[in-house]
Parts: sequence; structure tokens; C-alpha cells
Amino acid sequence: MTTLPKEVTLSIDGLPVTVPEGTLLVEAAKAVQTDIPVYCYHPKLGPAGLCRICLVEIEKTPKLQIACNTVVAEGMVVRTQGPKVEDGRRAVLEFLLLNHPLDCPICDKGGECDLQDYSIAYGQGMSRLAERKELKPKAIDLGPTIVLDDERCIVCQRCSRFDEIVTNERSLVVKDRGQRDVIATATGAPYRSNFSGNVTELCPVGALTSKTYRFRSRPWDLQRTRTTCQQCSVGCALNVDERHGNVLRTMSVPSDDAVSEGWLCDRGRYNVGFYADERRITSPLGRFGDEWVQLSWDDAIELWATRLEEALASAGSASIGVLGGGRLLNEEILLVRHVMRALGIANVDWRTGRQRQASPGARGGTYDDLENAQAIVTLGRPPSQSAPVMDLRIRKAVLRNGARLISIGAHPASSFVPATHLARLSDLAGTLAEVERIAFVWDGIDAALGAEAEAALAKLAAEGKHVSVFVPGETPNARGAEALGLLPAGGALDTRAQLEAARGGTLRILSIFGANPVLHHPAGAAFVREALKRVPFVVATDLFLTETGRLAHLVLPAKAAFEKDGHSFDLTGAVHAVNAAHGAPPDALSDGEVMIALAAHLGIDLPSPRELADWATASPATIANGLGDAALCGSLAPARDGAAGLRLAIAAHPFAGGGTVYFDDRLGELRPRPGLLLSPATAQAAGIGEADLVDLAAGGRVLHDLVATLDGNALEGVVTIVDGLPEAPANDFGEGETVTLGNVRSSRALAGSVV
Amino acid sequence: MSPLRGFASALIALTGGFATTFGMLFKRKPTIEYPSVKKQHAPRFHGLHELRRYADGKERCIGCELCAIACPANAITVIGAENAPGDRRSPGERYAARYEIDELRCIFCGLCEEACPTDAIVLTPRFEMADYRRGSFVYAKDRLLVPPQAGVGTAPDERPNGIPADLGTVAEQKSTVDIATGYDATNRGHILKTERRGLAG
Repeated sequence: MTTLPKEVTLSIDGLPVTVPEGTLLVEAAKAVQTDIPVYCYHPKLGPAGLCRICLVEIEKTPKLQIACNTVVAEGMVVRTQGPKVEDGRRAVLEFLLLNHPLDCPICDKGGECDLQDYSIAYGQGMSRLAERKELKPKAIDLGPTIVLDDERCIVCQRCSRFDEIVTNERSLVVKDRGQRDVIATATGAPYRSNFSGNVTELCPVGALTSKTYRFRSRPWDLQRTRTTCQQCSVGCALNVDERHGNVLRTMSVPSDDAVSEGWLCDRGRYNVGFYADERRITSPLGRFGDEWVQLSWDDAIELWATRLEEALASAGSASIGVLGGGRLLNEEILLVRHVMRALGIANVDWRTGRQRQASPGARGGTYDDLENAQAIVTLGRPPSQSAPVMDLRIRKAVLRNGARLISIGAHPASSFVPATHLARLSDLAGTLAEVERIAFVWDGIDAALGAEAEAALAKLAAEGKHVSVFVPGETPNARGAEALGLLPAGGALDTRAQLEAARGGTLRILSIFGANPVLHHPAGAAFVREALKRVPFVVATDLFLTETGRLAHLVLPAKAAFEKDGHSFDLTGAVHAVNAAHGAPPDALSDGEVMIALAAHLGIDLPSPRELADWATASPATIANGLGDAALCGSLAPARDGAAGLRLAIAAHPFAGGGTVYFDDRLGELRPRPGLLLSPATAQAAGIGEADLVDLAAGGRVLHDLVATLDGNALEGVVTIVDGLPEAPANDFGEGETVTLGNVRSSRALAGSVV
Repeated sequence: MSPLRGFASALIALTGGFATTFGMLFKRKPTIEYPSVKKQHAPRFHGLHELRRYADGKERCIGCELCAIACPANAITVIGAENAPGDRRSPGERYAARYEIDELRCIFCGLCEEACPTDAIVLTPRFEMADYRRGSFVYAKDRLLVPPQAGVGTAPDERPNGIPADLGTVAEQKSTVDIATGYDATNRGHILKTERRGLAG
């Protein structure tokens, strides 16, 4: 039990304020709704005392003081307004504006710029500078996402402090001093980060701007909708800004303390161009032989309903399979489940990728549990690959709370915070002895590892320790799909069994909801293709004609996440509202609407909207007894190879997999190139240098022309490749397989980050 | 009143009335023979807009949308874009990829002109905008921008006598009412549609 902090009472602008001891004046002023201007101060980055704009008058102090770095004291009398304060701020602004270019009419920040706003509030209107303004480079390409304008920069260092305090990547620094100081990367290399977009929001002026939003619009043109990001399972709140029917940018929600703490990853922020891509399917497509024909919705639904009725009558419900659903919203999942249950179809499985389980069992934790944990254990793929904003919480726990980060398996937990790596879970014994609060993060893929972890954490819990468990979903609403019942019940066929039944010719109809098993299912692309080809009727709903969609007989245009209303669960099981920000293409229907149309055709009664809303927003049911639950995961643990040689690790990447990133050319530089990651020692042993082209082979399966990247953080004897790349599909390979590398050629291709 | 008196007062009134009419015969006529004669406008008459250029041919407009936000009638739509290094439209980084004014909505108040930081959008004294279709009153850059061969356009301060010397050229080259022989209204709609599709940027 922590003791309550002592409180102090002070007076701000004549109003009494009582705040905990140690509060900064700038925060205390918020209690009386007084606006103290700030540039360098940010509530999540703390004070820096650089810009001096937050000057206030404190009684018995001869000079004006900065509110951002002054701690409240008992009986302090503070004035945040008045001639003396305004005079001080005017002087500070005159210095800040001394060399600031008059770019406001074209500046992307114009209209939401703190410098502009405070210049109007406190500035003096005219410049007294007789000399020429200091000229600095403009439109500097800082990295794949960010453009820097040095002239506009007021050197508040919010960006470099974000890069240091929050991400700990430390690539942005202030170079030079005095009037020549500029923001740059420490090494001069391009600024690459999974969180780079946040600096454009932190920048109080227009110095850092997003490439995807440069000069596209002005803030007052934009219509803002608050929704929840549906690109991974973290569930960050998101503001979607739209103009003329185009999503122009997404912004974080600074008040979203429960989940994102106001940060967004680049995938969530920048992957919005696909909404307007011309390759989107805009009407139902039927494939007759090799010919694609546009169908009306009535014809498409009738075709589907007729085929379902025929199959039910002739071969029964066991001959019908349903896959996917991890990308749908709760309401849609419930409708799919309802219709399939009404037809007696039990062969339902959302798991079309590697993940076997998306719920943490009874010990699921909140993001606060993660942040306050004293030790964080990641099993398998760490959240930095699949749930980036969750990784920021982990970094916070490590950097600010001193938590220990331990990774187990073939993937190191993080390149940016100190972490320990253990090969096996049994190596963990004893290391957590003096730790009270432990968080386990499992990727849900290796059921054997999960079951082992469950036993270990049950033992820890029995010792009276607080154990919280997290399972980031492979798809955004994996948790919802699992909790709301898109699982094979009572011995029905799971995904692999359905694919095998399809190859055996016993599956008559396969309905796939927003999934691409050809690219993601670990049975391998060839296996899944062969299976789909043998099913007489395959229906797929998707935004684009994916590898799977091409093999379907009926492809239905779906709505994307910004185009529909509903709810979703984040990986901790919290419910978030998803709101339509943007009009869908005229002929696209959400999967839920498709289900309603199908139910109408088949004469199935639907639950009332009220019932649906109640079920969709209820807390998710506990599905699994624990990690690696045998009833849920089955016995499909990938074979772990004890043999000598190079072992394969298959990593996720924020910009690989989902499919939508391939439909925005502006994201080309962010997408991982087909490559492999090696530790320098492993590479040397294999005779591979940085950026060499390598072929990877295992058991007759080969991936050609992978670009090698050497990383000191990679594990010895492990070759890491990225999952879900259409150019180099990794789903033919299994985690932990022994692989050989060959045909090494040096390449003049530029080395880039692979993982 | 006696009948005689009534007659006398009527006669006086009639004479007075006819005297006014007669007097008017010798006054200067206020009507002008439009369209062969055109009225001299006040120096700052607010007519059709034009987007000016710099002497080097670059567009003055930087696509900042300040005219659009100043417009009380919401008649202006601007969509900005970044200048490509090989194809620089305006001197800075940003230019107007689309610039449209709905002249039917416009109330010719001139606030766009006042808001413009680069003196790009100006109201010319040109007022003959009659057309056959509502859609053709949405003027895009193809009709607003001074054609390169027609100079840079004129700011209001540069035309103290109303119609500037080069306005004739500009108006002629920008004319929307370029009616070909055998032209009819139906056909015109088609032409405009094609033009707009090709030129609206």
C-alpha cells in the first residue's frame, strides 16, 4: 500500500489550488483552467526548460520563472497573466520568431500551430530585425516518413526527447549550437523508427511534417472522427481526418491513457492510402471457369445461398467450412456465428495464420499491469513485431520503472532497451525469485511453449506473485473472434482440418471472411492453393483480390475499418468503439451487412440490434484455461529441431502481412524487402556479408534472393525471415526448422532494415 | 372649385410635365449601346476573378487556401500539392493543384483578394459571364489563371482607370463563350465537360 503524497496549497491567479507535492506549476495551473503557453514542455516528456515561453510571476521572486520546471510550494502566489508576464512572453516570442520564416500560408501546421497561436496572443506583431534572417535548409528528407524544415524549427527538442525518453532509439539529436542548431540523426542515416510519425504531432511548429500529408490540406478543412485503430490488436484510439471523401491523415488521441498514451505506430498512422486505391474491389465478382464476371449483390447473395442450400441438402453441414473473422468487428463476428449456427455449420475457425490462441486465459492483464510489472517475459514473437504501441509500454516499464525484460525462444525482445535472452523457458527458474509483479507476453503460436509457460506462471502465482498475461492477436480483432465463438466447436474441423478435408474432396463450400490463408497459413502456400482448388465453391470477402481471393468463385467487396461502425476488443479484452469516418465505395458492404442479406435469403431470424449491441460490448468470455490450452490449440506445436545447424525464426513485421500496405505506393520504403537477419558471427561463419543476396532452403523448399542484414541484436545460429511477404512467402517454412543458406552473391542493393 | 379654375391648374401641371419631357430631349442620354459600347467601371469594380503570374511565368498562387477560408460564400475550393522538382508551378514548395471558384455562389465581395498573401487572386472588372449551364460557372484554373502568353495579370492598384490595357487580351484568351459556327447549347455542355475533365488539374 502506497502512502498518499502530501498535498500543498498555492494560489494561481488568485484562485486556491491544492495539488500533490512535487507537481509542476504548469500542471497545477491546469486545475484552474489557466492556459500557460508551452513549447518544449510536454506532459509525457516532462520539462526541458528550453523555450522559456511559460514564464509566470511568482511573488517574492524577483524575476519571472518558467512554470514548466518550477515545482509547487506551500503558499506560493503565482500570476500567469498581467503586464509583466506578457512582456516577458513577448520578448521570448521575439527571439523565437527572429529567424522564423513567414511560411504560415503554406505550412502544414498553419491553423494548429502553437507558435502561430501564441504569437497572436502574446507576440508583438512586427519584427525589429533589420538584418537578413538566418537561412537554413528546407524540405530535408529526414527518413522514409518525415520531412524536416530547419528554418521553422524552434529547437524545443520534443522530437529528440521523444526519441530518447519514450522510444529510447536515440537517433534524433540537435546538431551544432546557437543560431546554427538543427535537428538531425546522430549518424546522418535516415530517420527510421516504427514510431516516427509521433514527432510530427509533438512538433509545436511545422518543422517536422509527414510525407503522406504534406500540403494536402489545411487543418480547418478536415472532418475528424474518433475511432479505434484496426491494424493490430493493441486498440489505440485514433482520430481520422478526412476531406472530400479521402482519409488524409490519422492523429493520436492524447487523452487515450488507458491504451496508447497518445502515441501511434507508423503502420497505424500512415497506412491509410489503400482506402482510395483503384485496385479495390468495387462490386461482387463471380469466377466462372477462368473468367471474372461482375455480379449484382442480389445475384451474388442468391448464388451463395443456393450453393449453401444445395450442399446442406446433399452433403450436410459437415461439408461446409468457414474461415477467418479476425479482422471483423464484434457485431460482424456475432452475425457470422449466428448465421452459421442457424445452418448447423460447426466447421468455423478464425485462425488462418500461425496463431493458435488469442486469449490469455484467466490471468489476462491490463496495460497498466504491463507497465507496472517488475519483470516482463516475452515468449516467441515479441510485441515490437506485432503490437508496436504495446512495445512502447514495455520500453516504459524497463526505462522508467526498471523492469527486467526477458525474452524466450528464437526472437530477442527488443533492440532498444536492455533485455536478457534465454533459449528455453526452463532457464528462467530462479531468476524471478525476488520479483513480485510479472507480465508474460506470448505470441499464441507455439502451443507447447505456451503450455510450458502456463505451468511456470501457475507456479509463480502459487507463490503469491502477481502474474498478468498478454497475447497480442495476429489480426486486429483476434480476441473478439475467439471470445465470440469463431472456433470449431465439439470436434468440428479447424483450419488445417478443413484444408485437409478440402484436399480430400469432402468440403463442398468454403467461406472466407477477410483472410488470406494462402499467404499466412503455416501449411504452406502450395498446400492451401491445392486445397482451395478442390473445393467446388469458395466465397471470399476482402478489400482487394488477394492470393486467396483469386482462387475463390465468388469475391465480395468488403468495407474497411474506417468505413463501418461497431466494436472491437483489444488484446487485453477492453471494448472499443469503431466509428465510420469515411464513406465506403458505393457497392461495398461490411461482412455484417453481407450476413444480414444472406440471412434474409435463407430465412434465418437475426438477433435484434439491441441484443447484438449488448453481446458485442460485453466483456469477452474467458475461452482458454491458460496459455497453450490443449482444447483450443490442439497438438499442432511446430516440431522443434534439436539438430545442429542454422535454425529458422519467422518474425512478424508491422509493414508486412496485413495486405493493405501493398496498396499504397507511398509506403514502399517502409515495407520490408525479402531478406534475412543474422548475427554478425553467424553471418561470418556462413560467409555472408551485409546486403548479400542469399538463397534459403529447407527440405526442398527455397526462398530466392533474400537480402542479408547483419544485426548485433540477433541470436547466434538463428536466421530470421519475415512472415507474410507476398514476394517471399514464409508460410512454407516452420519456426525452428533447420535451414541451409547458399548461393551467396554480393549485391549492390542498399542495405535496409529487415526486421 | 369652379370648372374654369380646375382647367387652368390642369393646364399648368401639363405644361410643367411636358416642359420636363422636352427639357430631357436636350440632356445627355444615360443609356449606353451595350454591347457595342461598354461602361467605364469604377476603378475597383469587383468582377470575374483571375489568378496572376510572376514575370517568370510561375503561378503566384501557393495553394494556401486562405481565400477559401476568407470566402463568406464558401465559393472557393483549393487543393494544395507539393511542387515537383522538375515541374515547378509556383516559387515555393506548395502550389494549388486545383483551384475552383463557383461564380454563381460568389458574392464578389473581394475578401479573397484581401486574404491572398501573394496577390495571386484578384477580381477583374470583367463581368460578362452569362452561360447556358450551371456547371460552367465553376471556374477552374484553366479559366482563372492568366494564360502564359497573356502576361502576368494586373493587381487592382495597377488599373486606376478601371479596365487595364491588357484585359482585352486576357479576356479574349480566357473566354468561355468561344462559340464556334453551328454551335448549340447541347453540344456546348459536352465540350465543357470534356474540357473540365482534362483541365481541372
